[in-house]
Amino acid sequence: MKTPAVIKLVTAGAKDRKQFVAGSAVALIAAAFLLMLPGFAGHATISLFSRIFILAVFGMSYDILRGFTGVINLGHAVFFGSGTYLAGILFLRLDPTPGTLLLAVIVTVVYCSAAAFIMGKIAFRGGGVIACAMITLALGEIVRHLAETWRDVTMGADGLTFPIPYMFRDRLLFYYYALLFLILMVIVLRRFVLSPTGRVLLAIRENEQRAIFLGYNTTTYKMISLQVGGISAGLSGVMFALLTRFANTELLTIQQTLNALLVTIVGGTGTLYGAIVGTAFVQLIQHYLLTLRDVHPVFTRWLLFFGSIYILVVLYMPAGIVGAYRQLADLLSSRNKKKIA
Amino acid sequence: MSTPLIQTRQLTISFGAHKAVNNVSIEIEKDIFTTIIGPNGAGKTTLFNLISGLLRPTGGQVLFKGTDITHLSPLQRVALGMGRSFQLTNVFPALTVQENVRLALQAQARIGYRIFADHRKFRQLNEKTGLLLEQVLLQEKKNFLAASLTHGEQRKLELAMVLALDPEVLLLDEPTAGMALEEVPAMFELLDRTKKVTDKTIVLIEHKMDLVTGLSDQVIVLVNGSVLAQGSPPEVAANPAVLAAYLGGGVLSEACA
Ligand SMILES: Nc1ncnc2c1ncn2[C@@H]1O[C@H](COP(=O)(O)OP(=O)(O)OP(=O)(O)O)[C@@H](O)[C@H]1O
Ligand SMILES: [Mg+2]
Repeated sequence: MKTPAVIKLVTAGAKDRKQFVAGSAVALIAAAFLLMLPGFAGHATISLFSRIFILAVFGMSYDILRGFTGVINLGHAVFFGSGTYLAGILFLRLDPTPGTLLLAVIVTVVYCSAAAFIMGKIAFRGGGVIACAMITLALGEIVRHLAETWRDVTMGADGLTFPIPYMFRDRLLFYYYALLFLILMVIVLRRFVLSPTGRVLLAIRENEQRAIFLGYNTTTYKMISLQVGGISAGLSGVMFALLTRFANTELLTIQQTLNALLVTIVGGTGTLYGAIVGTAFVQLIQHYLLTLRDVHPVFTRWLLFFGSIYILVVLYMPAGIVGAYRQLADLLSSRNKKKIA
Repeated sequence: MSTPLIQTRQLTISFGAHKAVNNVSIEIEKDIFTTIIGPNGAGKTTLFNLISGLLRPTGGQVLFKGTDITHLSPLQRVALGMGRSFQLTNVFPALTVQENVRLALQAQARIGYRIFADHRKFRQLNEKTGLLLEQVLLQEKKNFLAASLTHGEQRKLELAMVLALDPEVLLLDEPTAGMALEEVPAMFELLDRTKKVTDKTIVLIEHKMDLVTGLSDQVIVLVNGSVLAQGSPPEVAANPAVLAAYLGGGVLSEACA
């Protein structure tokens, strides 16, 4: 039989339990490491990791759409960038207090929900995946263009510098806030993908026509997916505002969307955690390739190295890092079973 | 006479100049096992596509329990109680066998919008999934990905998914299509059992007449998009038009060989 070994698994119960134990162990080790990291890491590293935590949420929000629902949204940056802009504008116009931050969160949630609704209504009219990609690309460009031209509020291409609440200015403390944000979002999004709704999204990704013939209103489910993805991306944008204290229209571009796509591919599409691993991988490599500049000038071309590493990952780990890890784990457990039998 | 469960009136669809289904008026009574036979390209699948709403007719009507449903979407027709399977296997390949069936049951249970519940914690659904997998003899494969099943097993999985919907009428498009020859009898046994244990109206598309004579209460012969004959299996088998159309090298001779 050509059944891959990966799939030849024993009972679900045993598999679930094993996966749970292994997953919990990995999570605990990671959490312990991350909690202690500020003890021995410098300022730059701490900021880098804060960045990873926040962008990982953006990556996960993209994975909800592409990895779990099979929807390609090329305008996803709109949600992220809007979160950053909305927070920045409010901090600048009102005053940089925690109350304003709360307001920014509420405004971002409402804004992203409305934007997702409009985007979904236009993009899910039944034109298929490619039409949806093109429409979202166009909508994203429209928003970016509006932000660029509305100079009074956004400062256009110059970008917007703004103050943030006092309690978030300490880099070390902010590191923990960012970590907490990531953990909360992992819990919420994990629940979501494990819910009956999340399972229908998988069905849509696998075969939308069949899902319809089972009686699922797939358009409504895609709208829900876009709501969850859009709001999560918006919240990560607000956190990004606290990290960088700066917003520019680059945050709204297709490049920003492609960054999210990249981390989910590298980390593993449709795994949720892949976005975290992928973001860490991409950010760390980028960072260390840049520091190697001083060792040898060839590293100023870090993008070249980065591209090569990326191609290697795609070629040799088509399921991404988390996907490859799972395949390996499954392979090992099925080997063990054979030995016992 | 009671209203038929499904009725078509002068149902027609043209693809360009070609009328794939031409003026078809049939009635399918409740609790009756109907088989539609006909050669390749006769329009059997197209007729199913029209009844289930995947295609819109260029003429005629489809009625369900006497109501005109010609303009309803596939989704609305599923909600009315129509379940269909596909000639080309149509499952969720990267999900497990169990999850394929569970998703079908979940659709029926209407819990799809519970966004913060855990899908594994609905005991009734899990139990029903187990029963259905047992019914189609796939319980040992429940943790395999659907894509890793043999073709025949995928057909059984699809049957389990349609059964899970618990529809009033099952439209089954050649459940044995592409199956290995030795797997075919098992599928018919399965259909026979389904017919006996459930009180469902079943409409089956088949190629080979001899396999279905025992099962069917009614046979409809479709040729070139039109109904050539309709009646009980012996009636149809004795119909001169059917004999004339098929004895030359069509379905019947294939079946007799
Ligand atoms: N969407 C379509 N567009 C154009 N032509 C179509 C379409 N669907 C079906 N046809 C044509 O309609 C005719 C009937 O096809 P259909 O699939 O209904 O036949 P069938 O009886 O199911 O045959 P088979 O036994 O091979 O499954 C064929 O000539 C086919 O090419
Ligand atoms: Mg057909």
